[in-house]
Amino acid sequence: MSLAAVTGFRTWQPRGEGPWAWLAAGSVALSLLLLAGLLTLIAVRGLGHFWPASVSLVELDDGQVFAGRAVRELPLPAADGAGGARERLYFTGNRDLDGHVWQWVAVARITASELPRELVVLERSRHGDFIGRLVEVVTAGQQGTSVGEGGRGGGDGGGTATWTTLQERLSAVDALRAERDELQQRVIPPLVRRLENDPGDRATQRRLAETNERIRGLQESMQTDAAVLESVDGRRIVLTLDEVLRSWRPNAMSLPEKLGAWGRGVGRFLSEGPRAANTAGGVWPAIFGTVLMVMLMSLLVAPFGVLAAVYLNEVAHQGRLTNWVRIAVRNLAGVPSIVYGVFGLGVFVYGIGGSIDEWFFSDELPSPTFGTGGLLWASLTLALLTLPVVIVATEEGLVRIPDHQREGALALGATRLEMLTRVVLPMAVPAMLTGMILAVARAAGEVAPLMLVGVAKLAPQVPMDGEFPFLHLERKFMHLGYHVYDTAFHGDDIQAAMPVVYATALLLVLVVVVLNLTAIFLRHYVRARHGALSRH
Amino acid sequence: MIKPLSAAPSTRSPRRHLLDRLATGLIVAGGIGVILAVLAIGAFLAIEVVPALFSGALSQAQITLSLSPLAWGTLKAAFWALVFAVPMALGAAIHSSVYMSPRLRSRVKPTLELMEALPGVVIGFVAGLVLAPWVERHLTGAFALLLVMPLGILMAGGVWRLMSPALRQRLPLAWAGLWLVPWLGMLGLASLELAPWLEAWLFAGDLRGWLDTELGIDYASRNALIVGLAMGFAVMPSVYALAEDALSGVPSSLGEGAQAMGATRWQTLWKVVLPAAAPGVFAAVMIGAGRAVGETMIVLMVSGNAAVMSLSPLEGMRSMAAGIAIELPEAVPGSDSYQLLILAALLLFLFTFLVNTLAEVVRSRLRRRYRRLGDVS
Repeated sequence: MSLAAVTGFRTWQPRGEGPWAWLAAGSVALSLLLLAGLLTLIAVRGLGHFWPASVSLVELDDGQVFAGRAVRELPLPAADGAGGARERLYFTGNRDLDGHVWQWVAVARITASELPRELVVLERSRHGDFIGRLVEVVTAGQQGTSVGEGGRGGGDGGGTATWTTLQERLSAVDALRAERDELQQRVIPPLVRRLENDPGDRATQRRLAETNERIRGLQESMQTDAAVLESVDGRRIVLTLDEVLRSWRPNAMSLPEKLGAWGRGVGRFLSEGPRAANTAGGVWPAIFGTVLMVMLMSLLVAPFGVLAAVYLNEVAHQGRLTNWVRIAVRNLAGVPSIVYGVFGLGVFVYGIGGSIDEWFFSDELPSPTFGTGGLLWASLTLALLTLPVVIVATEEGLVRIPDHQREGALALGATRLEMLTRVVLPMAVPAMLTGMILAVARAAGEVAPLMLVGVAKLAPQVPMDGEFPFLHLERKFMHLGYHVYDTAFHGDDIQAAMPVVYATALLLVLVVVVLNLTAIFLRHYVRARHGALSRH
Repeated sequence: MIKPLSAAPSTRSPRRHLLDRLATGLIVAGGIGVILAVLAIGAFLAIEVVPALFSGALSQAQITLSLSPLAWGTLKAAFWALVFAVPMALGAAIHSSVYMSPRLRSRVKPTLELMEALPGVVIGFVAGLVLAPWVERHLTGAFALLLVMPLGILMAGGVWRLMSPALRQRLPLAWAGLWLVPWLGMLGLASLELAPWLEAWLFAGDLRGWLDTELGIDYASRNALIVGLAMGFAVMPSVYALAEDALSGVPSSLGEGAQAMGATRWQTLWKVVLPAAAPGVFAAVMIGAGRAVGETMIVLMVSGNAAVMSLSPLEGMRSMAAGIAIELPEAVPGSDSYQLLILAALLLFLFTFLVNTLAEVVRSRLRRRYRRLGDVS
């Protein structure tokens, strides 16, 4: 009997929950699916950009030959029903030879496609990538003596000797380039400044002239070597080596080599400035601008946010008015960010900035110094935007601290200041940190207000350098989020810009996600700790 | 709040006392200053615009002419965002407050919080440059997806009831939020594979042409549906979080009573929990609407920014926030267009501020009600 009851219990089915319960479950699944899809898309495309993909040599049915990297494949818009015909997009480079870098080809027209090992890809400072063959390397001393006919001599190590020479020469050029940049960036500016202060300083003048001479010399020795290159359809170009930034032979690389090249590509993306109208190169100035702006904003928002929260929760009379103020502050967190941008533009830029210009920089007018968007105004605007977040989070932390902690401190004879600084605030530190991290995460991802108060499409000078006053608050700066928007929507060749946009978007998402995860863990920690406290 | 004793005990040195006074003064001054600075936003916008409104510098006709397309675009974008976001958010909130296993729930909630933190510019980029062209190429597939997803979920529920009890225990409803993901992914891929056949069969291989000739609908690649989808994605997590709070805050004794009398969990939810939590759910939707109205980057990047007033969800629009972001940097301070844009900002501010205040009031009332209900039991 009891067994039957047990089995009866086991097989007893609750009544069905009906279709709505499943739809509700489905919406959880669907939102997880969408989120995963979005993150995967950005991660794959963003990281794939740095992979040295193979270059194929393609021959078409009309005899045309070209070399390129297959980018994607789409079904052809079929005129005669669903034929299943597809076309493929190749990145062919060689903008200076062809006038274009992309080529759509119907897959059916391809008669042969192979991956010859001797194909080289050169990243150049002008005209974008070159894809083709390396013929010879001409050096100054041995004019005309080719170091080894690369060409289509083929075989297993087709042109390996030439390739090795090219690599040696390129690393020599890189060393020269590094020396020149060092001179230009570290040695010249102090000399120029000294001359500005004292135009008659002979010694400095001589040193400046010497340095300039040296730079010229370096420049010349960088241009002595040249590479003779040939596109796959036989057109030759000669390239001085100072125009070559990077070179690789993707088809001859092994997997570890490719991984290494991938890592170096990521490193360069993070450490270099943008090139070719932001469609190539790295995002270092944008990273720097974002971080600097966020740091300035944190410096502003942390003390004031905590101050306001302490006032609201510990000092102010807890009446109806305080409650209304609290609700208003909370609601300001929901006011659109663009409205803050309008406020920043109207009050900070035109109002305060305009006045500062009239008082202190009147000799520079009408070109504005502070009366236009800049780093300072952007940080101030974002500080205002994130103040409610910090206030609300800190207040939540303060409310969670049980009253007997305060009472105990006061009973032992502490003043209110001592109670706050030694008992209440240390306990509220995790909550404050949570608020700060949420504020930073929000500020890092916010773009709309920055468009009004100081972000720039391209700011070659980062707002911090060796010149007095070192931190240039009036300068415009670059921002990762704006970089995504601007590169994606205002470029000439969106197709070419897409990889950079993906990579930048990935970087931005990573920053925001890491910051938010930290906040989530901190909050968990606060809850656990104060949950334990209030049981006492 | 606790006040320190006003009469200083003898142990308290005058220096400490003075320091305390000073610090309190500083906190009061700083706190009030910060709060005033934050509240100054509304005041600034009003001061810039109201005189121009009353002095007649901005005529009625001018305002109607330039702001009504923007207002229309804003409402249209927000409407479609809510069409996508509200069902998903409420469904997810219901599932995670009623059915989901606590372990999964403690993972899913932070995940959706992360989704809320995704920068609008990234969502806008993906929606505008990846999703919009893709949907344009796979129009049938996209519409098929909209249809297949709910049907597929229902199908999963139907199949689940037919499964053996052992399998059913392996795939419980409490974890459905997770194990439905691969199922939906597979369904999505399958429907995309089948879509071309469907298109060839029903619409002679060209849905866009069919829409144009049969229904007279012009398809713009960046349209309100895509904006709605992208912004729905951005708004959904915040609606979810607030609605979930409201639903799981309902005192459990209410639901338990209903279940003890034999109601299923869905019946309990629909007849008991949801009516109790309705104001909170409403507040969640309101806050979602406020966010959708003010979201700038997504609309800017996805909507095409053409100031057209049309009802069709397949055409683009221009919203107030996007208009401000595009035009304000070029507008001369004090000019008519500048003041019109500030007026738009003021309208945005007022709308979101009022909506949020309403939601906040509703929520605090609700919290009091829960406390009362909890006490009675």
